[in-house]
Amino acid sequence: MVNTNADVLGVLFPNSYDSLVPELVNERLMASIPFGGRYRIVDFVLSSMVNCGIDNISLIVRRNYLSLMDHLGSGREWDLARKNGGLNIIPPFAEKTVKLYNGRVEALASILDFLRGQKETYVVLADTNIVANFDFNALIDQHVQSGADITVAYTEEEIPASAKAVHGQGVDLYYTIDMNDDKRVNYMYMNSTQEGVTNFCLNYYVIKRELLIELITVASVRGYQFFERDMLAPHLDKIKVYGYKYDGYVARISDLKSYFDENMKLLDDKNLDALFDPSPIYTKIRDDNPTRYIEGSRAENVLVADGCIIEGDIENCILFRGVQVGKGAKVKNCVLMQDTIIEAGANVEYVITDKKVTITAGKELRGTDSFPVYIAKHKVV
Amino acid sequence: MAKEMIAMLLAGGQGSRLYTLTQNLAKPAVPFGGKYRIIDFPLSNCVNSGIDTVGILTQYQPLVLNEYIGNGQPWDLDRLHGGVHVLPPYQQASGSDWYKGTANAIYQNISFIQRYDPQYVIILSGDQICKQDYSDFLRYHKEKGAEFSVAVMEVPWEEASRFGIMVADENDRITEFQEKPKNPKSNLASMGIYIFNWDILKQYLEEDEADPNSENDFGKNIIPNLFRDNRRMYAYHFSGYWKDVGTISSLWEANMEVLDPEHSGINLFDDDWKIYSRNSGMTGHKIGKGGVVENSMITDGCRINGRVKHSILFAGVRVEEGAEVEDAVVMGGTVIRSGAVVKHCIVAENVEIGENAVVGAMPEGDEKGVATIGNNVFIGDGAKIGPNAMVRNNVKGGEEQW
Repeated sequence: MVNTNADVLGVLFPNSYDSLVPELVNERLMASIPFGGRYRIVDFVLSSMVNCGIDNISLIVRRNYLSLMDHLGSGREWDLARKNGGLNIIPPFAEKTVKLYNGRVEALASILDFLRGQKETYVVLADTNIVANFDFNALIDQHVQSGADITVAYTEEEIPASAKAVHGQGVDLYYTIDMNDDKRVNYMYMNSTQEGVTNFCLNYYVIKRELLIELITVASVRGYQFFERDMLAPHLDKIKVYGYKYDGYVARISDLKSYFDENMKLLDDKNLDALFDPSPIYTKIRDDNPTRYIEGSRAENVLVADGCIIEGDIENCILFRGVQVGKGAKVKNCVLMQDTIIEAGANVEYVITDKKVTITAGKELRGTDSFPVYIAKHKVV
Repeated sequence: MAKEMIAMLLAGGQGSRLYTLTQNLAKPAVPFGGKYRIIDFPLSNCVNSGIDTVGILTQYQPLVLNEYIGNGQPWDLDRLHGGVHVLPPYQQASGSDWYKGTANAIYQNISFIQRYDPQYVIILSGDQICKQDYSDFLRYHKEKGAEFSVAVMEVPWEEASRFGIMVADENDRITEFQEKPKNPKSNLASMGIYIFNWDILKQYLEEDEADPNSENDFGKNIIPNLFRDNRRMYAYHFSGYWKDVGTISSLWEANMEVLDPEHSGINLFDDDWKIYSRNSGMTGHKIGKGGVVENSMITDGCRINGRVKHSILFAGVRVEEGAEVEDAVVMGGTVIRSGAVVKHCIVAENVEIGENAVVGAMPEGDEKGVATIGNNVFIGDGAKIGPNAMVRNNVKGGEEQW
């Protein structure tokens, strides 16, 4: 792999779709939500970019980004601690006269100078509510060959009911597209409630850097807020937007239930392989010891990270790093985040525990398949 | 900028008693405890003790070790000034030499040590499993006003004749040194960990080098010379877990002891004294619907659909349906196909054990052999590997090896 440096700049929006999972982003943002036993959602898009040779990546954060900064550090674990490019976290200006940005246009307008100063030909824009081992090179290749101004990645899937419900309030928009035979987008829907399989945008875009600067300059002069709603959708006749269909494994976080389900899906080896086999996913290293199963424990159908101590009974669970399950405890159909402690004799089912939750000895706690119980960070039950 | 103390880690040993496990890698690079290599222990001890400059003396099969150490980042040893340095023998204007002995290895790197102008140098060995606070050892060394101190362990008297024995007076000043004595006068065994005042070490290394009859060894030459000159030598008592994993059976045993920290004293679950290692970067381990895991340590990337009992599995090990693993140490990337039975053995990295093959056996009577399979070996379907076997080459399906 000599051709390591893609001629592409990455720009991520770690706060997008925060409104879908209010519980989980209480003390964090979408990008830093723990996922899949030892990762945070941002790891997937970051690793995908790095594995495609994109090594100049900026994250435009908006709020609650402390956990993300802590997770990413210098970016070394993603091989992004570089002299040229590397990882670049852009916090909002905290001045009275400058308000927090709302849409993507405002976010990008705040980094126009930065964009002008870069040397890459293309820019990839991406949200962080998508868990996928995404091949950005394939997206970029199609973009270059098709002669598009902008290419947007989409999947063919149904719009989840949860998305329809929340989006009705118009907090975070989602987009679906119609295309001509040659994949040129001719219509872009916002918050569609269409039934059945649609072309559901992943919000991964590729565009020439010069063109992006031009569009954003115009858009911010005209007071546009949203890149898709205000910039793309009304001007599809002038701006050539093309669709790129992604067939790989995708987990899309659209509410707490989908967060639970998408974690659980990884218990199927087929899904686990589909997500992790294409190329490595990097994350922050914690130097945990291997997980220890003590005499008398039982484990069936579980995905477990390092550093756990299991004395009880676990079944159909995702355990993050450093979880402890005491003697005689029964844990079934649960997602237990980092350093959760289930004390002896406790009995929990369909529960999501956030980081450092303790379920004390002998407690019973049950959610249901359709409504898992969520316990917030640091809480003691 | 002078350093108070730097560490020199002897990692050149061939570890010939580990046979096939060290055929292609140096002993300190041998995997241990599910996700570590032996050298992680002294390196982590250094960092946890506040030592930020470590020279690693390599000689035998250094490729894996060099790659593993890299820039030292996993141990937080990538520093602006100091950090970790791998020091192989090199060519000098006057000619080149392999490291002739432990003392010669340090002698050849006097200029390295000099760059940091340390007051003290700690000499470590790269083939022991031990969690030890070297800063406490240094505090002791300074308190005693010692010129040389050695860490010692009390060993059972009947085993004392296997070790280098230090005889000390009531103030722990060493009065005599016996190398593997028939009639030991003490049961204080040297752990091969020394703190020297740098000026003393340098002086004796130079003297030793000038002696054509010397074997250039710390135990055989340097320490006796210190005695001859009546230097201030002290024994530092260490009572934690310590194990020389120089043989197949001791390596297997030490791994098994990790499974029983309450009794063995080797606790890897210690947040205040973490053992760092280069991470596999794999996703969490997965125990399937038919998988059973009892009393074992499992790490990232493992997929378990068979039965695993009282075993240590390293990163990315796969145990297929119907396979049985018991009392085994299975290193990274190894695949155990369905129906295979793997017991009381060490299986090295990237081995494939075919369907219904049998490797090792639970001990019966005096038969306590630990079957050992070397790296990258392929064991065919239905093959049988006896409890004393040492397998270096592929074994065809249905064949037996004892």
